Amino acid sequence: MIRHSLYILLRRITRDKVLYFIILTNLAVGFAAFIVLSTFISDQFNYDKQNTKYDRIYRLQLFMDQKENTIKHTWSVTAALSRKDLVDLPEIEKIALIHDVGDNNKSGVFLSVDKKNQFLTRFGYFADQSVFDIFTFRFIEGDQANALVHPFSIVLSKAVADRLFPGGNALGKQVYGENKVVFNVTGVYEDIPVKTSWRPVFILPMLSYKAITGNQDYESNYWSYAFYTYVLLKPNTGSASVDTKIYNALKDYRKEHHPYLRPMSKLYIDPYFENSTYVIIGLISFLSALILILSSINFINLQTANATTRFREIGIKKTLGFNKKRLWKQFMTESVLLTFIAAITGLFLAQLAIPALNNMLGGETFSRTFDNWKLLVVIFVVTLVTGLLSGLHPAYIISSYNPVAALKQKFITEKTNGISLKKTLVTIQFSISIFMLIVGFIIYRQTQFMLKKDLGFNSETVMFSNIVTDQKGSLEPLRQKLLQHPEIKNMSVSDYIPFILPGGDDLNWEGGKPDEKVFVRISNVNYDLVPTFGLKMLDGRNFSREFPADRNKCLINETATKVFGWKDPVGRRIKVYNMDYEVIGVVKDYVVFSVYSPNEPHLYRLAKDSIMNNGVYAVNFVGGQEKNAMEIVKTEFQNFFPNDAFEFRNMQVLTQNENALRAWKGFSKIMTLTAIITIIISSIGLFGLILFLTQRKMKEVGIRRVLGFSHSSLYMTLSSEFIRLIFISVLLAWPAAYYVYRVLPAGANKYDLQIWEFVFATLLILIVAVGTISYQIIKALCVRLVDILKDE
Amino acid sequence: MVETTALHEVNFKVSKGEFVAIMGPSGCGKSTLINILGLLDNSDSGGYYFEGIDVSGFGEKERTNLRKGNIGFIFQSFNLIDELTIFENVELPLLAMKVPMLKRKARVEEILDQMRIGHRRSHFPRQLSGGQQQRAAIARALITSPKLILADEPTGNLDSSNGEQVMQLLEEMNASGTTIIMVTHSINHAERAHRIVNLFDGHLVIERSEKVFESINRVV
Repeated sequence: MIRHSLYILLRRITRDKVLYFIILTNLAVGFAAFIVLSTFISDQFNYDKQNTKYDRIYRLQLFMDQKENTIKHTWSVTAALSRKDLVDLPEIEKIALIHDVGDNNKSGVFLSVDKKNQFLTRFGYFADQSVFDIFTFRFIEGDQANALVHPFSIVLSKAVADRLFPGGNALGKQVYGENKVVFNVTGVYEDIPVKTSWRPVFILPMLSYKAITGNQDYESNYWSYAFYTYVLLKPNTGSASVDTKIYNALKDYRKEHHPYLRPMSKLYIDPYFENSTYVIIGLISFLSALILILSSINFINLQTANATTRFREIGIKKTLGFNKKRLWKQFMTESVLLTFIAAITGLFLAQLAIPALNNMLGGETFSRTFDNWKLLVVIFVVTLVTGLLSGLHPAYIISSYNPVAALKQKFITEKTNGISLKKTLVTIQFSISIFMLIVGFIIYRQTQFMLKKDLGFNSETVMFSNIVTDQKGSLEPLRQKLLQHPEIKNMSVSDYIPFILPGGDDLNWEGGKPDEKVFVRISNVNYDLVPTFGLKMLDGRNFSREFPADRNKCLINETATKVFGWKDPVGRRIKVYNMDYEVIGVVKDYVVFSVYSPNEPHLYRLAKDSIMNNGVYAVNFVGGQEKNAMEIVKTEFQNFFPNDAFEFRNMQVLTQNENALRAWKGFSKIMTLTAIITIIISSIGLFGLILFLTQRKMKEVGIRRVLGFSHSSLYMTLSSEFIRLIFISVLLAWPAAYYVYRVLPAGANKYDLQIWEFVFATLLILIVAVGTISYQIIKALCVRLVDILKDE
Repeated sequence: MVETTALHEVNFKVSKGEFVAIMGPSGCGKSTLINILGLLDNSDSGGYYFEGIDVSGFGEKERTNLRKGNIGFIFQSFNLIDELTIFENVELPLLAMKVPMLKRKARVEEILDQMRIGHRRSHFPRQLSGGQQQRAAIARALITSPKLILADEPTGNLDSSNGEQVMQLLEEMNASGTTIIMVTHSINHAERAHRIVNLFDGHLVIERSEKVFESINRVV
């Protein structure tokens, strides 16, 4: 039977190439889109999966139960927790304490083999030897079991090792860090896959942390929230009991801080109990399902239409004694076969498209499907279900033909009881198309809104670099030299700048309840941060060289005044690290780190007007002079800091590549792609559908023409029904699209919805529909009357 | 909707081994009669006894089962399936009866050779002449050795020499014991049957049966 169906199918395909090309393209494009989006979704759940102990790995996080805080969770924790409180817990098998080398947020560290060719390396970490027991590393060189047990050893990723030692054989060689410390290479590991939440490019032993950073008491310090801790639980152990025990241990220090373990499976997708990632993933899954439904509906319509060309086959088979069930089976088999052909084509289309899409979307948004057998199983099942469901209606229609009528090649009119299946399918089709296009617009507009959002500071003509130095003394000579160049407008130094997020402390404020505290981010800045970044003062004044007493003064941001409830902030006092500061000015809120996250209170203290040993230097240059400015800055800083390595970058490197924004950009591109595919599939569907209906109505059109109906009245007769269905679809699609807008996780930065997005998407579908209808109607009108009427 | 009656009070009997021709002008109900006789359609009233069993109340499933292997059809327009080769077309009834493949193959080869179109077995219908197509259709009707063959204007689309060949084949089949009921417009072809049934406006007008006695004598 399958052989028989296959023969008939293949012969029909070779005979009616155009129709089958349309049928298969429709399904294959649908499948390709579904597969591409599925790989994306599947990837979201496959982060960190290269770790063999994935199920037992947890990260220590902190819930800060302070109601004024806008950000309540962090995975920056104290070292003391893991060194003192976690060590004796029976549930825990291994603990690894980790700390940034340098500040990965700011820049990183410079590595070299010869103290000359230094290069900036971001994302190096100090870590305990136990990281190798917890995470899965693949060593190329060296002994994994002892790689971090000796002081001043360094383990390199292959990428860094290749850069430092292009000839290979890094093991045992020496590496300079910032030209100050010498490390001995004890291992090289394969680069960690991109889709990993913790990706060190090199690792230093935690036991050298003290010696390198001078931070002597870190292991007993319960106040420095700067470390990361990962644990490996024993098999079959839950994290809940550990959470209780560490909370009890910590509450003597800060009862409002709740440490807890977050399983590795959540680290990427949902680190902080927020639904934003799920909303996006849910939406993409929903859209990919809709695309598949859309092409399945097209398939159903086209197959049903196609069935009218098979009257003879059905008539004969029925006459010869094939029963309904066997014919039904034949057409179901055909449907499933066609679906599989389309799915396999779609699979290959997707493989061809993925590199191009990755190119377009940047990075590794989509990974290859063939590496993901689970996804292949899903695709197989979805294909089978699609084939069966799509075949159901055409097979039922076909196998129910009355043999006598079928042999006479008469069109068999579908029984209708009010709402016909065909009309329902068409309405669903229009609804999905309109919905997808509107959602595409919404996401696009939201992304543009975020991209173009006024960050509140100058990010276009500022360059920055983090410089770690032992040098001391005034910065004034450097400043004066730079300002001599007309290309340079200003220079500032601070420990943090916009988009490099500082830490902070829980502070009490004047007028607040004595036990009420709120987390305030604190940075130390010089006189020139405000003008260099073009920050605006809402109230009071900036620090000034003309006021020598400014050392005890501070600036706060707009959000801080709101959180503190201060109407007249200037002159108020606030205690930071046991020092009293007087507020002299309020900085207008600017986007601190992410257009996505809410604003937090900030406080700025005046730093000494001298070289900072770990400062971020920012230079404001004249617009259009970036190249010259870069040269000048390079030369002047080189002369001023002859012993230190640095690398200036444009601020836009930070602002445009910030994670949330990047995610939105990717999301927007995915949506654009989805919208284009929707239009293609809808057009194919409409084409097939209208082809079928006008084919049926040929005779009616002919008779009407004989009776003298004008072309325009015929046009109205044939198209009015579609137009009506489109309006019903609007009633379904618009509210659904509005709902998507409502749940979109854009935080405080949601753009204002506009009606024209809805109208435009609907018009687009209307144009496609009317275009296709017109084409078919004109075709029907051009056929010679005698040819239509003699056919019976 | 106006109800029309295609056939009214048509009573006649066809015995085993008979060759009956049905004649009449267009729209007289010939096709309806053939459809009822072929169990493709049910009559609204009256009875139809096939081998002594009243099948007029049979449902679609039962009619399909009875039709399978018992009744062979030959059409004016041949009704071969375009997507199937001659071999596959002829094979269809056996497929419907779920005959095992090897048996099927042997039987198809045999009948194709008998119809002298064995050399065309892997061609598609539209590659064949009308006469060849009709021979293939006859082969398909005969392959199950049916008790009854219903031929609806079998020579209508053929030239006279091809029509003659088809008539000879029908006579041969009849001689070997198959009952044949044939609708035709050609008086020459009709006269080669044992009996002619004339229909007019759904009524049975006249039954000419000069040859009946002759043929009965011959059989006896």
